[in-house]
Amino acid sequence: MILHTPRAALAAALLLASLGGRAAAQDRVFVRPESGTPVVAVQVLVGVGPADEPAAQAGISYLAARAVVEPTRAVLDSLGAHLDVDQQRDAIAFTLTAAPDAWAEASRVLLVALFRDPVDSAATVRQRAALVRELLGREASPADALERERARAVYGADHPWARPAVGTSATVGRVRVAQVDAFLRRNFTPERSVVAVVGPVDEAEALAVLRPHMPEGELRADSVPAATPATEAVSADYNSITTWVSATWRFGADSDVESLRLLAKLALDRVSFGPSRRSVYNSRAEVVQYAGGGEVRLTVVVPPREARQWADRLREALGAYAAEPLSATVFAERLRRYRGLRLLELDLPEARAGAMARAALLGDRGATLADFTRLTADRLQAAARALEPAIIVFLGPEANEGG
Amino acid sequence: MLTLSLALALAAAPHDTARAPAPPAAQEGPAITVHHQQAIPVVALRLSILADDPPGYSGAGHLFQHLLLPSLEEQAARVGGHVSVVRGSDAIVYQVVGPATELDYLAGILRSTLRVPTPAGAEMLSALSALAEERNAERETAPQYVRAALRARLFPAEIPAAGTEGAAARLATAPLDRLWSGIYRPERVQVVAVGDVQLDAVRRAFRALPGTPASDAPEAVADTVPALEADTPQATRGWIGSAWSAAEVEPAAVSVTARLLRGYLRRRMTRSAVEVEHWWTHQGQALALVVATPDSLVPAARRTVDGALGTLAGAVTDAGVRDAAASVRRDMLFYARAPERMAELLGEFADRDTGPDAAQRYFAALDAVTADDVRGVLDRLQVGEPAKVYVPPQKIPAAQRR
Repeated sequence: MILHTPRAALAAALLLASLGGRAAAQDRVFVRPESGTPVVAVQVLVGVGPADEPAAQAGISYLAARAVVEPTRAVLDSLGAHLDVDQQRDAIAFTLTAAPDAWAEASRVLLVALFRDPVDSAATVRQRAALVRELLGREASPADALERERARAVYGADHPWARPAVGTSATVGRVRVAQVDAFLRRNFTPERSVVAVVGPVDEAEALAVLRPHMPEGELRADSVPAATPATEAVSADYNSITTWVSATWRFGADSDVESLRLLAKLALDRVSFGPSRRSVYNSRAEVVQYAGGGEVRLTVVVPPREARQWADRLREALGAYAAEPLSATVFAERLRRYRGLRLLELDLPEARAGAMARAALLGDRGATLADFTRLTADRLQAAARALEPAIIVFLGPEANEGG
Repeated sequence: MLTLSLALALAAAPHDTARAPAPPAAQEGPAITVHHQQAIPVVALRLSILADDPPGYSGAGHLFQHLLLPSLEEQAARVGGHVSVVRGSDAIVYQVVGPATELDYLAGILRSTLRVPTPAGAEMLSALSALAEERNAERETAPQYVRAALRARLFPAEIPAAGTEGAAARLATAPLDRLWSGIYRPERVQVVAVGDVQLDAVRRAFRALPGTPASDAPEAVADTVPALEADTPQATRGWIGSAWSAAEVEPAAVSVTARLLRGYLRRRMTRSAVEVEHWWTHQGQALALVVATPDSLVPAARRTVDGALGTLAGAVTDAGVRDAAASVRRDMLFYARAPERMAELLGEFADRDTGPDAAQRYFAALDAVTADDVRGVLDRLQVGEPAKVYVPPQKIPAAQRR
C-alpha cells in the first residue's frame, strides 16, 4: 500500500492556514478568498433557536426566519441567487449562493431583511400555513418520531432542546403575527450572528459590503439549561414492521470533534449492511456540535426481534476503539479514506461557508474549516474513551422487547 | 445533451485553465485540459472516449461502463472518493473525484477503464439487466418519453445510450475484445482535470494509455430502434413536446433564446409546467419545448406552444435579452461550483470537439447576444417544421373510479 501522508498533510495544512490567517482579525465576519471558485457563498448564522422560545410557541424561530426572508425571494431570484434557510438546534442558518457580480447586492438584501425590515404580515401568514402543512407530513414519519424521542432522552423532557427545533404543527399553527414580529425584533440581531463568506472576493471588499450590517463587537451567546439525560434505555412504541435503534453519546465543549467524526464513520462501517449483517435495512452515523458540546449518533433499522442485540452492537461499535489504539498501518488506511470523505463534504462553497460559520459560532476565532491533519490513533482512542455512556432509544413495535 | 458551459473559465480564470493538445504519439498521453482551483485539495478527473458504438451493437459503450462501475466505486472508496459514469451523445465518460494528493491513484482508476474487462457470468447478466432497465425507463414516464421521441425525430442517427433489444441480444454473446476494438483508440481519449493540481502532474498521470486494440471490430449490423409510438406512457396530465432544429446557429444565441422562451411561456401558462431546453451535441443543436398541462387546458396549451416562437419574436427587448443572458451565465456558475461539476461542463465542450477554449468563447458570446440575434434565431427555427410529440392525459372510466 502506498501512503501519501506527508504531501496530504502539507496540502491540508495549507488549506487550514489560508483560512485562519485571514479570519482571525475579524470579530463576527469571516472571509475565505478563493480565486478559482465560480460563486460566492455567504452564510449568516443567527444564534437563535428553541432555547429562546416559549414552549407554547415552539417553532417561532423557524417561522420568523422563513417569514422575514420571503419578501426577498423575488429580488434574489432576479439576481440568480439561491437562499436556503435551515433551523438548527442552537441557530438558524441563512445560506446564500450567488454569482460574483451579484453576491454583494444579494447579501445586502438578505441582511437588511434580517436585521432591519419589519416582518410582513401576509408573508408570515403564508409561511405559517406552509410550515404547518410541512410539519403535519413530517410528524407522520418514523425518522421524525425517532428524533423527537431521542431529543427527549438526551436532554430531558423539560429541556428546550427536547422540543423539535422547527416546532410542531400544533404550536406553529397558534403563533400570531404580532408574536413573530416581537420575537424577530428581540432575537434576530447582528450581535447574535456570525457571517462567513467563501469565494472569489477579497477581504476588504467583503467587509465593505457586510460591515454596515454587522458592526464590530463580541458575539452574544446565551447559556442553555443543563441537560438531564435518560439513565436507562427508552422504548417508544411505533406501528411499523422494523425497529429503529439509536445510540447517542454526548460530548463536552473541549472534545476532540474531528476524532469523533472519524470514530463515527469507523463505527458505522461496523454496523452497516454487509455479508455478515444482512438484517440491517438502513444505518446512519452523524456528529452534531452545539454550543457547549454535541452528540455522536449511530442509528440502525433492523427487525424488531433483533433490536436489543443491536443496541449492544452499537455500543460495541464505538467501544472497540476505546479499548486499544489501531495499529499504525490500519489507522493510516482508515485515515486515507476519511481524509477524502471529509474533503468531499466540503467541496461545495456553501458547505465551506457553513463549516466556518458553525466553528465561529462555537467560539473558534479562526473559523477552522476542518482539522484532520493531526489525527492519530492515540487521539482516536482518547476521544472514544472520553464519551459519556450511550443513551439508547428504540422506536418500533412492541416486539422490540423480544430478542 | 444540455448546454451549459463553462463560464467559469471566463469568470474565474483564463489564466487558471491550461490545455495540452494530444501529443503526436499516443503513448505520450491524451489531450488534457486542467482548470486549476485551489479552494480545497480536491481533484475531479473526467476521462471521455469520443466514440459511437459499433454499428449493430448500440449500448456497447454503456455496457462496458456497467461492467466496470462496481470495481471503480470500490477502488475510489478506498481514498474517500467517488465515481460516476455517463454515456452521452458525444462520448463514453468516466469521472472520479477525490483528494488531490491521490492524483496518481485516481488517474489509475480511470486508466483501468481503457482495458477490456473480463466479467464473470453473473456480472455480465447484471450489466445487461441494468441496460434493459434503462431502455425501458426511457419509455415508462411521460417526461422521458417526450424527450426521447423528440430526439429520435430530430437526430435519427442517434441511438439511445442503453441500446436496442436487438443489439442487447448480440451484446450478450459478442466477444468483448472485439466490441472494445470498435470503440477504443488512444487518440479518442480526452481528460479534464479540475482542482488543486497542475498540468504537468496530470500529464504524467495519464502518460501511458493502452494502445489500439489488436482485435478486429465486429462486423457491422443494422440497428433497429422500435418505434416509440407503440409505447406511449400513461400520464395524468397532457404532455406536449415541440422541438426545432437549430443547425448552424450561434449556440450562445440559442441558449439565450431558450431562456427567454421559458420565461415568456411560464408567465403565460401559469397552470402548466414549462421547460425549454437547448440541446447541443456533435449531432447538432435543437431548441426543445416540453409542457405538462391539466386535461382542461390541453387545447389552449397546444395553441400556445404552436405559436410560441412567433409570439416571442414580437416581445423580444434588449433588456430582456440582457437579463436572460445574465441568467444563463449565473446558472452555469452555480452549477459548476463543485470541481466535479466544473469538470463535467468543461468536458462537454471538449467532447463536442468545438476547439480549444470553446468554453471561454461560449461564455463571451453569451455576453454579446443581442435582441437582433435572438430574432434571427427565432426566424431560423421557424423555417423548418418542428418535431412534435403529444401524450394525452389518461382517461379513467367513471365506473372504475372510487
